[in-house]
Amino acid sequence: MITADVVSSFIQRAIPDATVTVMDRTGTMDHLSVRVVSDLFKDKSLLDRHRLVYQALDAPMKDGRIHALEIKAETTDGG
Amino acid sequence: MAELFEQEIQQEIQAHKILIYGKGTKTAPMCGFTKETMQFFDKYGYPYELIDVLQNPAKREALTKLTNWPTLPKVFINGTFYGDTDVLDPMEKKGELVPLLKAAFEQK
Repeated sequence: MITADVVSSFIQRAIPDATVTVMDRTGTMDHLSVRVVSDLFKDKSLLDRHRLVYQALDAPMKDGRIHALEIKAETTDGG
Repeated sequence: MAELFEQEIQQEIQAHKILIYGKGTKTAPMCGFTKETMQFFDKYGYPYELIDVLQNPAKREALTKLTNWPTLPKVFINGTFYGDTDVLDPMEKKGELVPLLKAAFEQK
């Protein structure tokens, strides 16, 4: 169980300019869809963008607060 | 420890053009994402292999180190790592997936 604010703060620690949207996929706040928009992603492949988000959320994923995570990682111009 | 599985993994990713490391088996997938990944590839009709690493934590750890990717499922196409459907979906939308699959299966 984790709140959207806590998820956003974890991500913004690693990606300061990120706009983060968190969706609860199952009503239990541990199966999440996370959309991260940042221009830090501009020169990064999809794999590396997602790796950045996984690294930012490493702690809550390891301790089980996040059980399942879907990631969308885009730049501000939707690229 | 990881080296123990390195060779086994290398053989597997070369042996199967589409390879999914996941939880459970084709007939009894144990996780939504594993099932979702199979359904993703079912659309294309190309054969794929699912290797269950749920029972093998050491191999699962070796895969995580090899790919620098913490979760399952893990997808390899033509021996190259592509993450999971979170990566494959955007690739599909940008039209990058079909040529990749064609190249993998129609290599002379």
